[in-house]
Amino acid sequence: MCLFLVPPLPYFPVFSFSRFPFSHPLHFHVSHNELMNPPYSPMSRICIIISLIFLQIIGILYPCLAEVDDAFIRSEVHKFAGDDAAARKAAIMTLAQSGDLRVEAILESYKLGELYLWNGEVVLCIETIEDEDFNEFCLLSDLLTSEPILDADGKQAQIPLEELEEISPSRAERKLTNSAKFLVRLSSPDPEIRMSGVKKCGDPPGIIEGVPQLEAMVQNDPVKKIRYIAKESLLLIRLSRTSLEQDPDAHLEIVRELGEMKSLRGLPRLQEMFDELMIEVEALPDFEEGTDIEDLEPADVEALGIYKYAIAYKYAINQISNYQGFVGGVGNIFRGLSLGSVLILMALGLAITFGLMGVINMAHGELMMIGAYATFEMQRLFGHTPDSPSDWYYVAALPVSFLAAAFVGYLIELSVVRHLYRRPLESLLATWGIGLLLIQLVRLRYGDNIGVNAPTWARGGLEVVQDLIVPYSRCFIIVLCGLCVLLIYYLMNYTKLGLRMRATMQNRNMANSMGVNTQRVDRYTFAFGSGIAGVAGYAWTLIGGVTPDMGQNNFIIDSFLVVVTGGVGELIGVICAGLGIGVLTKVIEPLGIGSMVVGAIWAKILLLIIIVGFIQFKPAGLFAPKGRLSDV
Amino acid sequence: MFRLYSIVVIGLLLFVVGMLGVEEVDAGHHEVKIGVLHSLSGTMAISETSLRDVVLMAVEEINAAGGVMGKQIEPVVVDPASDWDLFAEKAKDLIVKEEVAVVFGCWTSVSRKSVLPVFEEHNSLLFYPVQYEGEEQSLNVFYTAATPNQQLIPAAEYMMEEVEAKKFYLLGTDYVFPRTANKVLKAYLKTKGVPDENIVEEYTPFHHQDYQTIVGKIKKFAAGGDACVLSTINGDSNVPFYKEFANQGLTSDDCPIMAFSVAEDELRAMDVPPLVGHLAAWNYFQSVNTPENKKFVKNFKAFCERNGLPGGSKRVTDDPIEAAYFGVYVWKAAVEKAGSFDVDKVREAVYGLEFDAPGGKKMMHASNQHTLKPVYIGEIKKNGQFKIIYKSDGLVSPDSFSRYLHPDGKYPAPTGGPKEKAGM
Repeated sequence: MCLFLVPPLPYFPVFSFSRFPFSHPLHFHVSHNELMNPPYSPMSRICIIISLIFLQIIGILYPCLAEVDDAFIRSEVHKFAGDDAAARKAAIMTLAQSGDLRVEAILESYKLGELYLWNGEVVLCIETIEDEDFNEFCLLSDLLTSEPILDADGKQAQIPLEELEEISPSRAERKLTNSAKFLVRLSSPDPEIRMSGVKKCGDPPGIIEGVPQLEAMVQNDPVKKIRYIAKESLLLIRLSRTSLEQDPDAHLEIVRELGEMKSLRGLPRLQEMFDELMIEVEALPDFEEGTDIEDLEPADVEALGIYKYAIAYKYAINQISNYQGFVGGVGNIFRGLSLGSVLILMALGLAITFGLMGVINMAHGELMMIGAYATFEMQRLFGHTPDSPSDWYYVAALPVSFLAAAFVGYLIELSVVRHLYRRPLESLLATWGIGLLLIQLVRLRYGDNIGVNAPTWARGGLEVVQDLIVPYSRCFIIVLCGLCVLLIYYLMNYTKLGLRMRATMQNRNMANSMGVNTQRVDRYTFAFGSGIAGVAGYAWTLIGGVTPDMGQNNFIIDSFLVVVTGGVGELIGVICAGLGIGVLTKVIEPLGIGSMVVGAIWAKILLLIIIVGFIQFKPAGLFAPKGRLSDV
Repeated sequence: MFRLYSIVVIGLLLFVVGMLGVEEVDAGHHEVKIGVLHSLSGTMAISETSLRDVVLMAVEEINAAGGVMGKQIEPVVVDPASDWDLFAEKAKDLIVKEEVAVVFGCWTSVSRKSVLPVFEEHNSLLFYPVQYEGEEQSLNVFYTAATPNQQLIPAAEYMMEEVEAKKFYLLGTDYVFPRTANKVLKAYLKTKGVPDENIVEEYTPFHHQDYQTIVGKIKKFAAGGDACVLSTINGDSNVPFYKEFANQGLTSDDCPIMAFSVAEDELRAMDVPPLVGHLAAWNYFQSVNTPENKKFVKNFKAFCERNGLPGGSKRVTDDPIEAAYFGVYVWKAAVEKAGSFDVDKVREAVYGLEFDAPGGKKMMHASNQHTLKPVYIGEIKKNGQFKIIYKSDGLVSPDSFSRYLHPDGKYPAPTGGPKEKAGM
């Protein structure tokens, strides 16, 4: 028996978009208003977030585990070995509906042929070993606990393969276990596992055995999203079970409900049914315009009923696709913002070292790489692995990656860059060389294959509105990017150091004569820019991979692109260019004419063409430095 | 002061260059030279370094056991630095200057295509250990990894039969392997009656990092619950792809990804939790459960640790690593069978050769230069290993030219081979 700790929250209609572009001269009694949704209800995002978090916590406590008797499971599994196919099938479904979570693993082993009959008992054998004479022995484990079965000596029992009888499922049974697996998941206390079960129950062809449980979940599940999916799955199962011919009203009611739910999963099914119907519609005779319905043959009038169905389908399809269009549009903007913030973060450091100081710093990407590897080192230090997460490593890695990259930047300035301030081309080559050097050093130290595991809180995403998921990691990067911009702005404009930096960059000799130690300022500025690059590398580990040559492959060109487009030396330019390039890319990419879609490759090419064209008209970038500065 | 810094910098540079350089060993008469042509720097170093390691390990093992026909093997390692032109140049160096008996190398198809004329011109021998797009058969190359019909087709079949997928999203990096692979896959799917609108083909540039839009598209495509992704995404693009896939709320239950270029070695570099439950098709997994394989895995880890290679005992084996490893043994067996290092004699000896590889018994094809191998499909586990969920019955015979791309049954003739003396 399960307790429900929260009363089910009311179902929030988050957005409802409905238009009715499908019009036809013939008029039917399906009125628009009837089909209209309840009025648009503005639901604040915060409320959703809080309730979701709350429900997630509650979800952990739900539902109480239904454990059935071990002996019962064993006896049912024993039937798998029987000769009666119907009994085998029945046993699989009985187990699946028992609600015991251990069943999933058993079914999985059954599917993979890891179950064997030994002394009249079903045992698990995952591993076999061979002796010198190529005799195969099975290492046995218990069916339910997976603990090794011990022989008389207290070692894991090794039985020659011939003494075991294999229990292997037929193809039909393998398929059945596939769906049975999802039935088991309906009882899981983990909302995510439960959700996957609920979802798969509704996917074609639909698991009819799950209907009673789904019906209960629509009412009682503490997680709103699961209630929604359960309802969707129920409707999808019913949709395929009620035919239009036999019970049109019930069928169309389901179609209407799916449309109202803006069910993305329902869309392909509805579209399919609609297409089939349209074939019939096209087979109808043509009527002259203005024909009175009274003058038609009775058979024709009946055939015209198809129009009514087609309209009902089309209406639901439009409801869904309009909503999807909206989600797609908002999604594109968000993706653009997110890509833009990544670009800004990459370019910020360069805006300082290249934009302010005028050093063509080709090692910029490698400084980001150092930030990423510093994050990796912190992960190692904290012992963070997927199995034993310690998320604090990621917090600690922020300052460490900044300092590591800043330190390397400091050394680069000290050793090479300071000699080349007046020779930009040589600084380009020298920093390029330093970049190669850093890449190979890191490769020798770490090899190529290392992985940074994202902290657990950066996994998954927030469903802002139905079907629009905003990944946490990308939100974090947007926030981090904002903070970095603010930090730089503050540092440049409101601190003494910033004042000295600006003074040095504007007129070195004058600053020098005013008592500013310009060499030291150079060093700090360069180190600071490098440190920001390190932070960018740190953030990158959440969404991308870490390799020694990531700087050259992924960052350096994009960074320069942003800085140059934005206008050298202007913070605001970097922000506008970063966001502009990001949003533009994400808006171009999904565009297309008919079946030809721009895609990732052409989006990049088009973008470069646009930027080249833009630079032709504004060679100094979006925000060109004005006045005397522009002469320097 | 400036001089001091320059010295430090130059010293560091020399150090790095030194690490990259050719490993020279004194040549003796009791030795036979073999070439190892894998990128140790540049883009492909991520994958190819491991192959160099395993070839050296095989050489060490063979030398410890007495060498080939009483001669110790002397490996000549060169670094073509992921530069396709440099591949041809280095191959020529190996053949002409070093006079190696055989070369083990290459990963990308473009690098193989670039060295092919060199091997054919000098009638030398290359063992190529990476699964590729097929449509090639040179008498100067032995292909120890899979052709499309040993990897792509069984995987697509598995998706249709067992996973019951009806819609296919073919996603790849934009170069020759994914393009040809998808051509083969598309032709195959069409013969199985999958309609055009249920197949989507899409490519991304090398090092593509932003998969937001594509994952959004896949989500819509897979909404009906009967779609899958067949991925030929290569290299570092896999990390952002799988991360984005998971972060947008898609799981392997919603839409499984069948990958053709993700093996254990790549998984080391990935954040595995988002990948759990997705699939990959290969001819070998580290988790293949045989005593020979366990020994091989143990030896490889020990070899890496002993030689101070990055990763040490955390290193893993995978399909290309196994293929590179047994390639050396196939060559050894062929040389011993032929009783000679002569390329033409060795070639004849390789045909139809049966041998034990870590992943089980395998066999070289009797004529088409490729290898008969089993096909496995594995599910990614949390520890970065694969759980084998499908194994083909016996060995699958390789097609050097795909029957789906040549429905008329007219296959091009093999290229290269012995030099005709008639023209002299």
